[in-house]
Formats: sequence, C-alpha cells, structure tokens
Amino acid sequence: MPGNTELAISEIKAYALREPVSRRGYTVVEVQTKGGLAGYGECAAAAPEALALARQAAVGQAATSYEVIGRQLAANPGMQAAVGMALLDVVGKFTKAPVFQVLGGPTRNKARALTPLDGASDAELMAAMKRAREAGHRAFLVPAPTSVAPNQGQAFVKATRSRLEKLRAEAGTDIDFVLDGGGRLTPGDSASLAAELERFHLLWFDEPCRVSNLAALHKIASETVTPLGFGRRVHQSGAFQDLLREQVIDVLRPSLALNGLSQLRRMAALAEPYYTAIAPHHEGGPIATAAALHLAASLPNFFIQQVPFTEAAEDRAMRAKLGGALEKPVDGFLTLPTGPGLGIVVDRGVLV
Amino acid sequence: MKRRQFFSGAAGAVLTGRSVSAGVSCGCALAPPPQNPLGADAFRGVGSRLKITSMKVFGVSLTPDSDRPFVFVKLETDGGVIGWGEGTLEGKAGAVMACMQDFRDFVIGSDPMQVEHHWQSMYVQSFYRAGPVMGSAISGIDQAMWDIRGKVLGLPVYQLLGGPFDGRGVRGYYHVDGQNRDQLQKLRGTALQMGVSCFKTGIPGYYEWIETSRNIDRAVKSMQMVREALGPDIDVAVDFHAKTSPSVASVIVKEVEPLNLLFVEEPCPPENVKAMARIARRSTTPIATGERLIASYGTRELIEMGVVDILQTDINHVGGITGLWKVAACADASGISMAPHACEGPIGGLATIHVDGAMPNFLVQEICSGVVAGPKEKVWEEWLGFPAMRMVNGRFPLSQKPGLGFELTEEALKKYPFGGTKPMARVFHRDGSVAEW
Repeated sequence: MPGNTELAISEIKAYALREPVSRRGYTVVEVQTKGGLAGYGECAAAAPEALALARQAAVGQAATSYEVIGRQLAANPGMQAAVGMALLDVVGKFTKAPVFQVLGGPTRNKARALTPLDGASDAELMAAMKRAREAGHRAFLVPAPTSVAPNQGQAFVKATRSRLEKLRAEAGTDIDFVLDGGGRLTPGDSASLAAELERFHLLWFDEPCRVSNLAALHKIASETVTPLGFGRRVHQSGAFQDLLREQVIDVLRPSLALNGLSQLRRMAALAEPYYTAIAPHHEGGPIATAAALHLAASLPNFFIQQVPFTEAAEDRAMRAKLGGALEKPVDGFLTLPTGPGLGIVVDRGVLV
Repeated sequence: MKRRQFFSGAAGAVLTGRSVSAGVSCGCALAPPPQNPLGADAFRGVGSRLKITSMKVFGVSLTPDSDRPFVFVKLETDGGVIGWGEGTLEGKAGAVMACMQDFRDFVIGSDPMQVEHHWQSMYVQSFYRAGPVMGSAISGIDQAMWDIRGKVLGLPVYQLLGGPFDGRGVRGYYHVDGQNRDQLQKLRGTALQMGVSCFKTGIPGYYEWIETSRNIDRAVKSMQMVREALGPDIDVAVDFHAKTSPSVASVIVKEVEPLNLLFVEEPCPPENVKAMARIARRSTTPIATGERLIASYGTRELIEMGVVDILQTDINHVGGITGLWKVAACADASGISMAPHACEGPIGGLATIHVDGAMPNFLVQEICSGVVAGPKEKVWEEWLGFPAMRMVNGRFPLSQKPGLGFELTEEALKKYPFGGTKPMARVFHRDGSVAEW
C-alpha cells in the first residue's frame, strides 16, 4: 500500500501538562509513525492503563484506521478522543491537507467563538466581560449565581435575571449570552428560570440540570421556548439520540476532551435531521481548540465553539507553544488553521 | 425568470449578469439579493485551489430497452484530476440526468474538496428537499467529488473515512438464481466452494391487500425451500419488495420465524414508518428497509422508533458517500446494522464498498448479481479492467488505489449509448388493478 510505512503507528506517548498560573491541566497525546510523522491530540487526563490500551490498539496500524482504533478505545473516552485527534493530525500531514479538508470541508470560513466569564459576583463578571471583549470575544457563557439550596424559587430567579440584565446593559446588542447552569440546578429551578428568561433571548440555557431523568428534562422543555443545551458529560452518542427524539435539546454540547473528532462528527450527524446544531464544550488546552476548529469547518450543523479565555501571560505563552495563535477571535470569530493536519506546530520543549 | 427584479428593478439584472427581456417578474418578494453567486469566493484562502471545470452526464444503456440505464457523471478539474460518480435511478434515468444538469451552477467553478459544503448547497438550496430524483443527482455528484478528493489526497476513500474495519474486504451476498430444490442444492455447493456465505431471495407472485391461505402458504414454502436447500450455515435474506401490505406481511413474517432468516426486506412500502413498525413488533425476524429513503432525514423516524434492525441505504439515491456515511452513523448510535443496497451500476457499487469498509456497524453488502457472472458483469469488467463487484472468498476486495480506485474512459461507454428512459416493469392483479413487484 502506498504510504503504508509512513502511516504505520510506531509509538504513542502522553504528557500531563499544567498551566503555571491558572493551574488548568490537560494531557497531550503524541502519536509517531514509522515514517517520522507526528500527530497530536488532547484529553483531560490519561491513566497509564488507558495509554497501554491505546498502544495495544494502535501500534503497527495505519493512522488512517482512526475509526477502527477509536472503536477499540471506546471504554476509555479521553484516550479515544486524544488518539483520534492525533491520528487525524497525522493523516492531514500525510495528505498535506488541513484536517477539515480530509473530512470534507470547509463548510465555513471562520468559526464563531464562545468563552466563559469567570467570577463569583456580578461585578467580577462585568470586569471579566470587559477584558474578554477587548480580546475579541462577542459571546459569553455566564454562570448562574451559586445556589444556596435546591428549589430556591423567586429569589434565585431574580438574582439570575438581574445578573444577565446588568451584563446586557453594559454590553449592548452585539453581545450574546449563554446561561450556564453547570448541571447543578433542580429541574424545577431550571424550568422556572428558563420560562422567566424567554424574552431575554439567551443564545441558550446550558446544562441547567443533570441529564439523568428524561421526564425532568421534558418538564423544562415543555414549559419554555428558551433553547436548551445539554451534554458536556455525555460520551455515548445514543444518549443524544434520546434527547433529540424526546425533543428536549436545542444545542448539543458534547465535550471535545471526552469525544474527539470521530465521535463528535457522529453526534453532529445524529443532530442534522433534527435541524439541530452542535456547539462543543471545551475547557482544556490549545490542541483541542485546533481540533475543534477543524471540526467546525467540516460540519454543516456547527453553531459556536467554546474556548477557554486565558488571561495570564505565562499561560498564554504555554498555550501558544502548543497551538500557535488560534485562540484569538476577531469580532467574535476564530480563524481557521489552514496548515496540514491540525495546522499547529507543537514545541516539543513543552512536552515534559 | 428573474425573481429579484421585483425587488431591485433593472440594477438586479446587471448584477446577476443575465438579461431580462421585459420588466415582468414572477415576483417572489421573499427572494434575497444574490450573494456569493456560485459559492467559491467565500472560501478563498481556506479552500483548495482546485476548481471543477466540467461536468459530463452519461446515460448508458446495456441494451436499448433497459429499464435502468446507468446514469454516470464525470467531473473534470483544472488540476487534471477527474472523478466519476453514479446516480442511476430505475425508470427515471432522464429525470436524474436533467437534475444533474440543473446542478451545473452549483458544480462548475467550485472546489471539489469541500464536498460537505456542496452537498448542503445542493440539498438545502434546492428549496424542495429530498426526493429520489434529486437524491440520485446529488449522489452522483457527491461520489465524483469523493473520487477526486481521494485522488488528490492520495488515499482510498475508505481510508479517508477511517477504515478499514476488516482488511480482507467487505462481506457480500448474491441473489439466489435457482428455481427448484436441485438447482438450490447445486447453488449451495458452488457457494461453499467460493466462500459465499449469504444469499437473498424473493417471494413468488403479487399480493393483494389481504391474502388467501393458498398464497400465504406458497410464499412460506418458497422460503422454506431456499432455507433448507442452502443449509443452516448460509445466511438467507428475503426481499418482500414491498409487494405485501402490512397485514399480509405480518402473517407471513410470523410463519417464517423458525427459518431464522438474516432479515426480511421491505415487508411493506417505506413511506409509513408506523405501518412497518406494526409488522416488526409482531415478529422476532429482523426487518430491513431503506433503499428508497433519501438522506439521513429519510431514515430518522425508522431509527428513532427502533423499527428496523438493518438499514439498506443505497449510495446512488441517499446522497452519495456523504449521505450513506451519515445514515450509518445515525444507525450506529441505535445499534442498527447496515446492509447497503446495490442494484445499479458498478460505480455506485464500488463507492459503497468504500463506505462499508469504514462502518463499525456494517453487516453485509448486496450486489444484484448471481453467483456466476453474467453479461452485465462482463461489460463492467470490460469497462474497468477488473471484475468489479465480484466477491473473492465471500468478500468484495478493498482497492488500494486512491479515490474510488478505478479508471474509466468515455470511449468505453460509447458502445452502450443512452436508449432513453424506460419504465420499470409494470404488473397488475387479475382484475387489472395496479400491483407492486
């Protein structure tokens, strides 16, 4: 087979990294081939057993067999995700094409970005929004106020509404918001909040409660037109099948670190005949950001990509060494990487 | 017809570069002003530099009266790379050929690498969605773009898709071509010798809304005979071809449970999912359908209602490689297997093998041929230089060449000029009313 040797996987390594200031941690997975190509992927953390399984599944196989290898790692979602990204990086480098082109794109020429605002109080969130706007962001994930007790009723609803109204008053009309419930609210609080905020026109209400009880989700979805996002902890695409069939989801929010490109593409394919989009969750490192941009540019039903907002100069420097300058939005949109593979040049000095 | 005349007057005609003889417009006030006219400019800098320079559509009739002339499409690029695809639609060749031509403005001048974008553009921006004619036209163009993509990227399409799951090839089945027990037993011998592990047969006759005991027995006995003669170690599938109503199918399918069929195909027509569900829930026999369903939109309800065990999506109708891959991905999430349909020409057949090879939920691949190659298969070999869609040890081999893995010349097709569209065979009940086969 042409290129067989070049594509044959010879080694897989994992590097647990931590940003110096934010202390954000993620693991970079490196795949090497006999032909000297290297590909990179990322997940939250990699257990030694998962790495051993990945080696067992992949070494000696062609990087093009990314679906086959991924399937064998299904019980280890993070490793499956990271290896999958790395294999597509290799395939792209071998074909001298960006990954989005290998996957049938581009379907768009830039990708809309969403970034979380960090802060405990309204004042902190306002300040965070100012900084993120200056950095080019135009859409923000806003945490719901910390709940003091379940079923908090009107006080909680009012506090949330007040938080959002302050942000919008400050931001004007060209800024959009996603309310982040963090999966922490009760279905009752979620439903009240979603109904109360209908006319605020959130982009959507994200992960209001846990995805554990379809009947509870039905209650929220049937009482409101506020779009609902779910799925940051979902790994099985069948779970999205249920949420779509039951008409309780407006935005699929699967995590990049948990699913990687292959699984996310499958989830997006599931959502397409429901006229529903995917907006991947991502709070890890810059290699997954690169992978996310390729995904965005290969899917028809991509809406927005969550990216971390990194403020400390030391953290930014570290991310730049891994992923270049991909996390700088221009007027709310990220630029697509157009180099071969994931389009990033990893400074191996960071991988220790 | 200049719809936007209604909005913008004479300036519109200048902008779109087409002249309008008089100021009369067909007048859709909702029509937007033209934007990024043939697609390409929006992707400058992120797309490839390759451009499609021509699209040629071929109707190919192996015999002048063929009811399913092959519809092939060839795309040429400014880089010299060419791609072939197929959109054969039984009984509607002329319509598909015309529909492909209708897509000319979507195709010429565009970047063949961004196949997903063009798929969306053809499907969504046609306004009238889906349908077998448009689905088949998109299928052909999509396959041709994938052929180009593979050639440009230097990999067989199944490798671009992340496969192969089985390097030995993809398991296939032929159609039963025996009429009686002796012929079927001989077929068993041939199959075992050739390593073929699966066959499909049909059910005799045509069926009315409700059937007589005699006709039900005849159907059951014919299936029993095939099952017994082929033996327990060869899988048998039965195509009802939607000849039966849900009521009649339910009775027959119940009777054949002890035969452990691989699947029963199209026990009723495919538009009404709940009707098919009624058959499925009253039997343990796996139910398969899907060859007439277009895009992943077409199979959504079947999948979410858990009606079928197996989908038989056809790469020449569903929307090509892109469409088939998506249906398989949706099916996989619900534990549904894929047994793609193939009853047309060799290009779609070869294309479907690539997608099969990259499916985790692949079961078996059809080819509408017998265990012994006939005249049709000889022509295919003459065109392509190898025995296309013939199994080796029960499997269709995977190509090692980039793209779809074959070469075809326009010259080779000239011996079989388009004989025009011919209807599929029509059958009638004893009282002259319309029957299905």
